[in-house]
Amino acid sequence: MREHTRKLFDYAFTGLGIASITFMVAILVIVLVPIFARGVQAVIFKGTVEHRLLHLEKFSHGDEDAIRAEYDEALKARQFAWDMLDNFKKDLKAMPSSERGHYRKEFADVEAIFAELMGPRPGEHRFPIVRMQYGQNRWDRAQVKLHELMYYEQWTYENGESHLQYLPRKDLFTGTSLEGLFDYTESHLEEMLKPKITFYWRFLTDSSIDAHIFGGIWPELLGTIYLTIGSMLFAVPFGILTAIYLAEYAKEGMILSTIRSCISTLSGVPSIVFGLIGLAFFINYLKVSPNKSVLAGALTLGLLVLPTIIRTSEEAIKAVPHAYKEAAMGLGAGRWFTVVKVILPASLPGIMTGIVLSMGRAAGETAPIIFTAAVSVGQALSPIQALSEPTPALSWNIYNLCTEHEAVEEIRHVQYGMVVVLIGVVISLSLIAILMRARIQKKMKR
Amino acid sequence: MLLIAGVCKRVCPLIFYSFEQLIMTTSSANGLTLSRRKVLIRQALAKTGTGALFLVAAASALIVLFIILYIFKNSLPFFESRGFVEFFTSTRWYPSQDPAEFGALAIFAGSLLVTIGAVFVAAPLGIVSAVCLSDIINFNLRQWIKPVVEILAAIPSVAYGFFALVVLAPFMQTHGGHFLDAIWKLIAIPCAFLAAMVLGSSLSGKVKEKTKRRLYATAYTIICFAVLLGLIQYISGYLVGIRISSGTNALNVSLVLAVMALPTVVSVSEDALQSVGRELREGSFALGATRAETMLKVIIPAGSSGILAAVLLGIMRALGETMIVWMASGNAAKIPSPIFNYLEPVRTLTATIAGDMGEADHVTGSDRYHVLFAMGFSLLLFSFVLNLVSEKIASRQRDKLRGK
Repeated sequence: MREHTRKLFDYAFTGLGIASITFMVAILVIVLVPIFARGVQAVIFKGTVEHRLLHLEKFSHGDEDAIRAEYDEALKARQFAWDMLDNFKKDLKAMPSSERGHYRKEFADVEAIFAELMGPRPGEHRFPIVRMQYGQNRWDRAQVKLHELMYYEQWTYENGESHLQYLPRKDLFTGTSLEGLFDYTESHLEEMLKPKITFYWRFLTDSSIDAHIFGGIWPELLGTIYLTIGSMLFAVPFGILTAIYLAEYAKEGMILSTIRSCISTLSGVPSIVFGLIGLAFFINYLKVSPNKSVLAGALTLGLLVLPTIIRTSEEAIKAVPHAYKEAAMGLGAGRWFTVVKVILPASLPGIMTGIVLSMGRAAGETAPIIFTAAVSVGQALSPIQALSEPTPALSWNIYNLCTEHEAVEEIRHVQYGMVVVLIGVVISLSLIAILMRARIQKKMKR
Repeated sequence: MLLIAGVCKRVCPLIFYSFEQLIMTTSSANGLTLSRRKVLIRQALAKTGTGALFLVAAASALIVLFIILYIFKNSLPFFESRGFVEFFTSTRWYPSQDPAEFGALAIFAGSLLVTIGAVFVAAPLGIVSAVCLSDIINFNLRQWIKPVVEILAAIPSVAYGFFALVVLAPFMQTHGGHFLDAIWKLIAIPCAFLAAMVLGSSLSGKVKEKTKRRLYATAYTIICFAVLLGLIQYISGYLVGIRISSGTNALNVSLVLAVMALPTVVSVSEDALQSVGRELREGSFALGATRAETMLKVIIPAGSSGILAAVLLGIMRALGETMIVWMASGNAAKIPSPIFNYLEPVRTLTATIAGDMGEADHVTGSDRYHVLFAMGFSLLLFSFVLNLVSEKIASRQRDKLRGK
């Protein structure tokens, strides 16, 4: 039987291994699926007529006549509700003051929520803050606001524990002229807001309005692109030259091993320490820019990805067959000539793989740019401005929007959208790298 | 200054290259031989070119020394004015108060706690996955699993942090004990099942008759499984009762950090297992060992130092990670009571640097500014030592496998 036990044990071992691999794949799915499922809603969602109006007025997107006509139709549906509000206001004035005091606060709440839902009336004073100029842009947010209009919150205490209850607001106004408003709004909300499936691809290319409550993420995306490319401009030449030296010129010995262990230590430095160095050295000491700037951020990120680039380039150079080098040398080419004309072209795909991988790394890093390059709100920069000015960047703004923003819940879709774009950029870069590597391996096998 | 030097170093070799090309074209016009002067020039150019390359390489290596020294230099003023005792022994962290207090013990404890938690999850899972990836599943499947590992590694830490804060934390807070219970059962029940099978089979080993033996084995297996299930249920009854008051706590961070450190552990230990080589495997199989025995008794011991290095690298990643911890750890600078209570919020070194620097930068030169460098220096020191150790271990494994 011992043999049987051993066999079973072997099966159990295999089962454990496969279970852990499955678990790993499951983790990837668990992390990515909710993020992607909700991130897509930043681009594809039910937009209300307010959304179309905002984009007409702020970005001049869309067919003006059609949107205006639609808006007028919506206004007609809303007018009925506004009339109800006005009537109640009149009634309120006519009431004896004891009753008026009873209704005043509740009515103010209703008016405020209704204004948030529908936006200001035509001809009403328009506030400079954009979020007060328009009603709800998204149908899902409109539903939330509708719920807020229909019910009010009440905390009850029972056995020392507090419970939140939602009670119908309608009951507060029974017997008044406002009672009809709630049912009317609930049943006519679609006519008032005209939801339509919207494919908002301009999410990627629009600037944000009013701290990301409206609009897209172009400044952030552009900032990430600047930082990524900038860091490559610093790290790639430096990294490749170092790799050439290590792979082709250096002789084994103390110096080489010291350089190698230094580089591997550099790859282990925590990213936040790069941020410290960027702030204290590049900005406070060298003063590459008066304050945070893309330049300082790119330098810092360049330091961060340098070890990766050195290591991958060195491996790529070492993977070039010796015959190439010997043939070039045999033809009388100098060492440097051999490196530039023969070895570098042959190892270019490998080096490119390393560069693409580190681009993904640089695009996703947050800690090094917190103190060196990132701001929460900003406009898209031109390349010249990037030398001296800070920029918003995807990674930083994800952090900023989901922790420090004043209306965290209202802009969930923007946060998810940003995360999806960032993950999309990084994963597509690493997929490119994986495909490139697979092609190189195929070539090598031949 | 550094910038200019960098530009020069990059441009110089290009100039040498064009010179060299110039000389080659002129020399080929004159015939195959070069004049003595040209040979001298070429030699000089080659020497300086090599020198320049060496400078570039040395510069990229020296950056790390520079970073260490610079951080150290900036942390000195803090230790000069406040001494060591408060920083390392007090748990009172009030840097913006007057008088300010800079006790970082709780912050060190927080870093330690989440790192241990992350490694506790990532190391077993990662090592088992690496074993499976390198020896159990076939080549075609591996081609599909490896990109999964790479994508897990590529997902930016801020995205993991977002997941921890926006998805996992509310989930933990509302489902509390049931969440812990589900994880526990997900891990424990399959393990219990496999263990019961092996246990039942080995317990019935003494029975001689074949038909009887099978019956006994099944009976033993069922009994073992029932007992283990009872044990699991007992523990899960305790787990369900737990209420998590805040979803942003050390457990949440540890789990997500583990996911982030997992790819490092998997890929490095898989390399270590691969580097053990075919001969040992074939030898073991030839002696009649099963795959499990080969792996557990031959391959894993032979690759153990590489696996250890992988775990150390995982520790390094978890320790140096900023965004996940900053977003999802709750950032409370106190030691949880009892110390291993993972359901309380903690604060780590990296998160403190990230969170406090925004304000401390306005008072450059004060203790508040330099204390963050002191923390950065401690982090650097940890990762430096870990890196050195893992490198030593890896090189020792290489020597061992070469048969030295």
